[in-house]
Order: sequence, then C-alpha cells, then structure tokens
Amino acid sequence: MFFAVIASLTLYIMDDRLDYFGQVRSLISSVVYPVQVTAALPADFATWLSTFFQDREQLQERIRVLEASQQLMSARLQRLQALERENLRLRELLGSSFRLQERIQIAELLAVDSDPFSQQVILDKGQRFGVYVGQPVLDAHGVMGQVSEVSLFSSRVVLLTDPNHSIPVQINRNGLRGVVFGRGPSEQLKMDYMPHNADVRVGDLVVTSGLGGIFPTGYPVGVVTEVSFPAGKPFAEIAISPAANLGTSREVMLVLPGERIEFDLPEPSVEMPEFLGIEEIEAGGLQ
Amino acid sequence: MATTAPGRNISVIWFSLLLALILMIIPLPEILRFARPEWLGMFLIYWAMALPQRVSIGVAWFVGILMDALSGTTLGVHAFAYALIVFLVARFHLQLRQYPLWQQALTILSLVMIVQLILLLASSMPHQWQVWMPAVTSTLVWPVVYALLRKTRRTFQVS
Repeated sequence: MFFAVIASLTLYIMDDRLDYFGQVRSLISSVVYPVQVTAALPADFATWLSTFFQDREQLQERIRVLEASQQLMSARLQRLQALERENLRLRELLGSSFRLQERIQIAELLAVDSDPFSQQVILDKGQRFGVYVGQPVLDAHGVMGQVSEVSLFSSRVVLLTDPNHSIPVQINRNGLRGVVFGRGPSEQLKMDYMPHNADVRVGDLVVTSGLGGIFPTGYPVGVVTEVSFPAGKPFAEIAISPAANLGTSREVMLVLPGERIEFDLPEPSVEMPEFLGIEEIEAGGLQ
Repeated sequence: MATTAPGRNISVIWFSLLLALILMIIPLPEILRFARPEWLGMFLIYWAMALPQRVSIGVAWFVGILMDALSGTTLGVHAFAYALIVFLVARFHLQLRQYPLWQQALTILSLVMIVQLILLLASSMPHQWQVWMPAVTSTLVWPVVYALLRKTRRTFQVS
C-alpha cells in the first residue's frame, strides 16, 4: 500500500506539473485504444444496421435534400470568395498580414462515454494524422472545442461547455471583444467580465476573435440568449447557447492553420486617420 | 501475481478486468449517464475478497492507471483510489466473505463512495449531488455481479 501511495502521488505530480510527461501519457492512452474501440463496437454496429436497412425512397429523398443544400452553399461560396479576395487586397493596402483559408481535416467521434462531469469527447484521429494539442475542432455549425490530449491513434477534445474551457470571442455585430466560459453539462455558455454598459443584445451572434492564437478568426461560437445587468454585481450576466451540436455531432472537423502571408510593405505614406486608433490596427495584424 | 501455473486460470481474472474497463466507457443512455455503476471497482473488490493473493494492490494500481488514461483524469487518481479499496478489502476479506449479501452491498456502497470522494477531491469540478449516484447503482447491482463472478470463478476453477 505504501508503494502504491508513493507511486500514485509521484505520477499525479508529474502528470500535473511536467510538460514533457505528456508523451508517457500519450503512450498509455495508445495502449488503451483497443479498449475504447471495443467499447464503441455496439454503437457502431447499431449505426451500421440503421444505414443498412434504409430504403430506396429515403435515400433518394436524402440525396435530393443534400444536392439542394449543396447548390445553395456553392452559390454562397462564390460570393464569399470574391469578398475574401477583396479583403485581401484591402489588407494589402493597409499593410497588415492575413491568414489564408484554413485547411480542414475530417474526424469521427468514438462512441464511448467519458467522465460525465467533464465535457470531453474522443476522436478517432491521433498523432499519426498530425493532430496536435490545442488544435481547434469544429462541426458543421460552429466551434466545438479544442484538442487537449493526443495519443497515437486517438485524441481527446475538451468541449466549449467544459467548466475549465474558455474561448476569446467578439460580438459579430459590433466587434466587442470578450471571453466565453463553459458551465458544465447545462449546455449553456456564459460571457464573463462584460461591464454593465456593454452593447450586447439577445440574438447577437458571437464569433471567435482569433486573439489568443488557438482558434482561427470568425467561426461562430453561439448566440446570445439572455442578457441581464444585476444590480450590485460588477459585471453583466450573459448566457450564450452554443452554435455547434455538441451533443449530437458525430463527424467533426479539425482545423489546420493556414499560412500567414506577411506583406513587407513600406510604412504607408498617407497619415493614418486619428479615429482608427492604435488598438484596432494591432488587432487587425493579429488576425 | 505473475505465476501462470497450469490449472490456475489467472487469465480469467485479467479478462474480467478488461471487460470491466470496457463497461466503464461503453455509451449509456442519457438518463443513466451519471448513474454508471463502478464496474471496475466492484470487479476488483470481488477478486480481492475471493483471491486476495492474486489480485493485490499492485494489480489494482495498474488497472487504475489504465482507467486514468481512459477517463482523462490526471494519472494516479484512479490508481490510488482502487489501490486503497483493494487494500481495505484485503485487510478484511475473511470477515467480508462471511457477511450476508445485503451487508456486503452496504460495504460496496461505502467503498465506492471512497472512490468517488477521491475522484472528486482530485477534480476541479464544483460538487454536484449526482457524484454519489454510482455508489447507489453499484450497491443495487452488486448481488448480480457477485453471483456472476462467483459462477465464473467456480466454472473456470480460478484459484
């Protein structure tokens, strides 16, 4: 018992405090990967059965719906590409750097449960596919979270709703910046440390701000559902419902960072107008 | 524990512990999410009670490390918790064997509560009452686990 106590304590402290200990951890996680795959088998089999026994009409209907939405999306994409070009040109004029479109990799969730109190999921892609700690994870509707631990064949993702997770955001309508925190299984997020006079309204879209350097800019995080300014408390209370389907998404996207193009332009010869302010220019450069 | 003498069927123990590990992470319906019985803890308790010379603190510690990796907790938390309960069970295994089943189940309640308490102390989560649900469900399923494992032990003559 004495040895067990000492060994547990040593491991606990090493895992908690030492960075390079992550390799040992990832090795142990790789060892238990077969257990995870076996545990996911019944759920996988159920999904396989339900796809196997879909009838023809259902499938045709689905193809029709998907094709329609595909058309809609590609029409939107055309406009977006034109806008992106324009944005790039304008930024070139301003002399600030711009991140090219991020590349994306698809991964699937392993159907296993984690500790129900921490909001985490496990993906079927690991080190072998170049997944790294801190990599942003999206689904079709918005940001899901970030990779917290990588083993050889799988990786663990902390969701936005985890109480230990926070993400730098801005309000899409007016560019107001803030930080959004998870609140545990309640499936709601909160935006803390916003002053009482902050211009936040119910229905505002909240997107990633790109500050902090982990999440790319401009991906939807959620929609403001509740704003209150309780008297006697220093900050506003803002509730946000996440845009991503945190509970139901099975396929997720891992974002690979795009290359950053630096424009080595000479200082613009025109005087910067006063109202732009240093802060805004710097924020532009960070994106 | 490493003695794999013929006829002892030690592999059955390892196989059952592997099964318990799988049961610990197999997806459950939403209602039961917080009420997952502590399968691994119960299996370890049974083997430590029946064969304390086979399932020692070392085995519990090793399986606990695997569980830490599976559940994403800091390494050593489950290991310590399982080592502790196996230590307690091994200490009192002669008495535990004599207990009627309901009294054993109550022992399980307190042992699983110890495990949950250690997990709670090590995590930074705020305390919620659901934390204690696994202890209750473990108590309820203990008679079944006990019967099944005893049957297994006798069938395969694990000693």
